[in-house]
Parts: sequence; structure tokens; C-alpha cells
Amino acid sequence: MAEEARQEIKADQKINLEGLLCPIPVVRVSQAVKNLAVGGILEATATDPGVLADIPAWARSTGNEVIAMNRDGKIITFFVKRLK
Amino acid sequence: MSLLEIVAAGIAIAGGVIFVAGIVAILIALQRRPYGVEMAPIKGSPGRGVFWSFTLGMAPWAKASARLHWMAYLRGVILHLSIFAGAAYLIATPWLGVMPGPLRLSLTVLFAIGAVMGLAGFGIRLANPTMRLLSVPDDYFALALVTLFLASGAMSAYSVAYLPFFWVVAGITLAYAPFGKLKHFLYFFYARIFLGLVFGRKNVLE
Amino acid sequence: METITVEEQNKTALAREMMEKLVDRRVLTALEVCVRCGTCAESCHYYQSDPKTEHTPYYRAEQVRRVYRQFMDPVGQAFPGWFGAKPTTDEALSRLAEIAFSSCTLCHRCTFECPFGVETAEIMRVMRSVATACGYGPEMLVEIANAAIAKEENADLFRDIFLDQVKELEKEVQDKLGSSEARIPVNQKGARLLYVPLAGAHTIVPQAIIFNIARESWTLSMFDTANYAVFLGDITKAKRIAQRIIKEAEALEVQEVIITECGHGYTAMRWDAPKWFGHPLPFKVRNIIEVIDDYIRDGVLPVNPATNGEPVTYHDSCNLGRKGGLLEEPRRVLRAVVGDFREMTPNRLHSYCCGGGSGLVAVPEWKDIRMQAGKLKADQIRQTGAKTVVTSCDNCRFQIGELSQYYDLGVEVTSVSELTAKALV
Repeated sequence: MAEEARQEIKADQKINLEGLLCPIPVVRVSQAVKNLAVGGILEATATDPGVLADIPAWARSTGNEVIAMNRDGKIITFFVKRLK
Repeated sequence: MSLLEIVAAGIAIAGGVIFVAGIVAILIALQRRPYGVEMAPIKGSPGRGVFWSFTLGMAPWAKASARLHWMAYLRGVILHLSIFAGAAYLIATPWLGVMPGPLRLSLTVLFAIGAVMGLAGFGIRLANPTMRLLSVPDDYFALALVTLFLASGAMSAYSVAYLPFFWVVAGITLAYAPFGKLKHFLYFFYARIFLGLVFGRKNVLE
Repeated sequence: METITVEEQNKTALAREMMEKLVDRRVLTALEVCVRCGTCAESCHYYQSDPKTEHTPYYRAEQVRRVYRQFMDPVGQAFPGWFGAKPTTDEALSRLAEIAFSSCTLCHRCTFECPFGVETAEIMRVMRSVATACGYGPEMLVEIANAAIAKEENADLFRDIFLDQVKELEKEVQDKLGSSEARIPVNQKGARLLYVPLAGAHTIVPQAIIFNIARESWTLSMFDTANYAVFLGDITKAKRIAQRIIKEAEALEVQEVIITECGHGYTAMRWDAPKWFGHPLPFKVRNIIEVIDDYIRDGVLPVNPATNGEPVTYHDSCNLGRKGGLLEEPRRVLRAVVGDFREMTPNRLHSYCCGGGSGLVAVPEWKDIRMQAGKLKADQIRQTGAKTVVTSCDNCRFQIGELSQYYDLGVEVTSVSELTAKALV
């Protein structure tokens, strides 16, 4: 994802998951998304590569949406939109 | 035999019959429950696990709980030894008249100590707030029954005149055993066997 | 008068049905054999850290026992007051679920301290299943279990992400080994071992280094070993999650499935899965620690314990150790790869749970409970004077990491594989 595109997404909340290992990133994202209004967007940064698959899988099974995911070296940034 | 002895013996025998029928019913009910057969390749030995379970696994030095609660543990050991002796004694009572004097005296002492241990059980159960909270009437009744069983056993071993009293108490205790907490004596063997089998196959028993 | 709704009636009926189904001989024995003598109290880490009635194993088991008396015990049904049978309401079920999920980590320690061997953990496991079926399973555990299933259902979608990730990690392995020959093979049909990691790189990179040095014939699984349905007592889902790996192993025709350092994941695949499926698995299941232990014994891994010179202690994960059977293997490896190994007391069969087991780490609301229950473990760690705590389970790892911050222990938490990789010369 290009930096400009990333900047276009306006997150309602940001969380830092760097250094946390699975399943804690999923737990923290789930918790944060539940605190958003429907339609709200969460931005998160993580270092555990497991989130690359785990977060989309979690979003699918809970009916939320990962609208963008980007890896820059060790840092993975992703945006989750609360759909329901 | 006097009428009193005949009635008392009848109660004891009836209690014994109910006891055996009750135990059979428990065993059938237990066998009817599913049992998940272990399919994973074993790492240790289930047989050795069962052996451990009834030997080292029960040794007081192997358990911090036994060291911490040594009085309760010792009380339990004495109480249960006297109950087992009491059960054997019950079967032998028809021949009480020919039982050697020193043996009868020894049994009197053992049962009397056992009865005191039974009484102590009330104190322990009432003094500990958690035990008091969790105790139900069955706990107290079962304890009262075994205490009375041992006390009457001591009395009858001391004097044959108390034998009918012992038989009546024994009959009631036997009849009640399959219904209340006293049935733990049977489940005890299952519990130790399952423990040995499950953990023995995993090779974790020391 | 208390009104019982139809929904409540249905839930109670479902709870009864589940209990009827799940109380097997072993659990029935555990329910019937306890005499409430109270000697188990101190065997529990919850009680040790905060000695109160609710933290005793026999209190917890007794709450389930009273429901059992009402549901399944004819004598209890006939004389409820005498035997303590309790009517099961919605509220009671919800409370039982709370007890089963947050007040017991199913560590099985109390069983070995009990004069009878009462398996309170087995009673609690059944209670977890009943609670999950009735909709009282912790939401977070349900979400994680469902995500694992979603990963398999959408395997094609995740394959590319996975392969990209592996390529990145392979570069890391090559850099560390200084060799462009080093590989993280994926989908290698006929490989001897299928290695199943967790999601984190720490369960892939060190092991890949070890496999490469040992010149092992191996392939990396696309899935991870975590199986949160086990914590929920949801065997249907647990089987689906385990089935992903079984299918993969069968397709690749491997001889062995090697599970990473994950307590519940190992026990589920090694001991439980064959029982769930009703037949032995068509491959051998071992833990990565057993493989490393063999490599060191066979002299395949050149290790230098001086590389890990700081004092190290080992925390036995309840699932991997007491319930999994791996007590000596990690110790043998650690003695070979660290210079100063120190035992906690008690350890092995009598080791205390860290307080984060059986899914507790994944439920944020229970952090205070976890920190309290982990106090004993924190004290044990402090007493060893170790700077590094090794544990072979990611749940324990997270919990001990948090305990270190909470109780200011200043320890680093790592795994057997990581220390082994570090010790390679």
C-alpha cells in the first residue's frame, strides 16, 4: 500500500501491538474494534508476522473488514473497519 | 440366641444385602458411562502407573498436602484402618465367643481410637469455614454413622452384651453406604486406577 | 415467585443433555469420590496467592457436583437438601461458566495432592463444555477458535500471504546462518517431518536454523498449532482445527508431525486427537523439544552452553509437562545449552501453573485474576535468581512476561528452541 493511500484512511483509533505475539494481537484488535461505532476504523501496528493471516481470518469470522495491510520492514500496519 | 440378637442379626444381614445390591447398582451405573479409550501411542506404562498410584503416589512424603495437613491425614489413616478392621470384625462376630481375649482387647482399643477420630471429624469439619460451607447433611450423617459403628464395635469387643447394638448400627451403616458419601470407598479404587492409567501412559509419575 | 423463561428452560435442558453426554467413567468417579476433606486447598495457585474459599479446588468442583446431583444422580434428585443438589438456573449456569473458565486453569496439580486423586480439572473441563454449548463460552476464545477455522476455509486466500511471510523469514534464517543455501521448505511432499509452528516468527526462525544445521528433511506447516477450541471444551471445533494439520500431513506423506513449543497444541495433537477421532493418527506426533533432545544426544547440533551464560530457570507448562509427558526432555536440552541452569521448587509433576493457562491469557477482562493467581510463580522465579525464564508454551510465555512487569522481576522469557539456536556454534 502506498504511503499516500495509507494516509487517506482516517482511523478513529490507533493501537500499538508491536512486540506482542499471537493470539494477543487478535485479542487487542477485537477489543478495540468492539469499542468503535459501526463503520469506525482501527489502525494498528504490529511486529508479529502472524497477524498477516490471523487478522484477516479473525475479520472474516467476525464479519469485520481489513481494509488495508502494509508491511514496512518489521512493522506491519493494518486498518480494520467495524462492519457490525 | 435371644430374640434381641435374632432381630439385630436380621438387621445386620438386611443391611448387608442392601449394601451388596447397592454396590452392584453403582458398578453397573459406572460401567454404563462412556469411557474414552486412549488411542495415542503410549510413552510410559499404564500398569506401572497404577502400581505407583496405589503405592508411592499415596505416600505421605510424596504430597505437600499430607505434610501440611498431617494431623488430618493421620486422623484419616487411623479412622479408615479402624473401619476396615471393623468390617472384618463384623464378619467374625458370630464367633466372638471364641475370639482370644487379647485380640478382643486390642480391637476394643483400636475401635475406640477410631471412634475418637470420627468425633474429631466433626470438630475439623465445623472449625474450617470452607468445609463448613460445603458440608451437607450427608457429610455429618455419614460421619455420625461410622463413629457410632466404631464405638459400638469397641463396646461389643469389650462385652458381648453390646453385640446386638453393634449389629443394628452395622446394618444401618451398610444399608446407607451405597447412597451417601460413604460410597467413596468404592470410587477410591477407580479414581486411583484412572490416575495411574492416564498419567502412567504419559510417563510423568515419579 | 421466580419466573423461569422458555430460553432459560431450554438452556437448562441443553446443559443437562451435555452433562449426560460428557460425564464419562473418569468424570463420574471424580464427581463421586471427593469427601470434601479440604487437603487440596494449598495445592492450587489461586489459593496460594489469595487464600479464600472460592479459590479451593473442592469449592469449585462442589459447585459443579451440585448441578450433577440435580441432573444425573437419582439419590440427589430424591433428597436434594440432604445431598446438596441445586436447581440450575440461568444465573447459576453463568456463574459456573465463570468459575470453570476463570478460576481454574485445568492444571491438574490438585489431583496429585489429593489423597483420592480427585480430577477436579476433568470436572471443570466438562463444565467448560457445558457452558460453551449453552452460550457462556468467553467470546474471545470463541473468536480465536473461529478464526482458526476461517483460516482453513479460506486457505487459498491465505496461501500467498503465508508464502510471502515465509520468504521473508527464510532471508532472516540465511542471514543468521550466513548461507544462501538455508531453506524454509513448504509443501515438500515426502519430507520426513512436518513442523507445525505458532503464528509468531519466534516459532519458525530458530527452529528453521536448527533444522538446517541438523540437515533435517522437513517442511513447514501452513497452519499453526494453537487450538483454542480445546479451552472451550468444544470438541467439534477442536477436531476441525486439528484436522487441518492431519490432512496436510497426510497429503505430504510425512512420517512425523512435530509440534512447536505450545502446551495445549502439543497435548491436543499428541494425546487427545486420537481419542477424538477414535483411531491412532497415521503419523508419529512429537514436540520440537524431543527432536532437539535427539539432535543433541546424537551430536548433530554443535552447542556451546557458555553462549547462554546468565542464570536460567525453566517453567513447566502444565499441558506440556504434567499433562503432556515432557518433563525431562527440556531439562536435558537446557543443561546442554545454558551455563547456569536453576530449578524452581517445586517442579515437574508438582510444578505450579503460571496463572495464564487454559485460555486465560486471551481474555483481557481476566488480567487482574491472572496477575493475582500468578503471584506464586513470580515468587518462585524471583527465588531462583534467574535472569531468563524458559517456558515451552506461548501462553505461559505471555503470562510470565506480564508477571515480570507486574511484579518487577526483570526477567526475559524465551523458549528452549530460541536458547538452543543461540547456543549453536
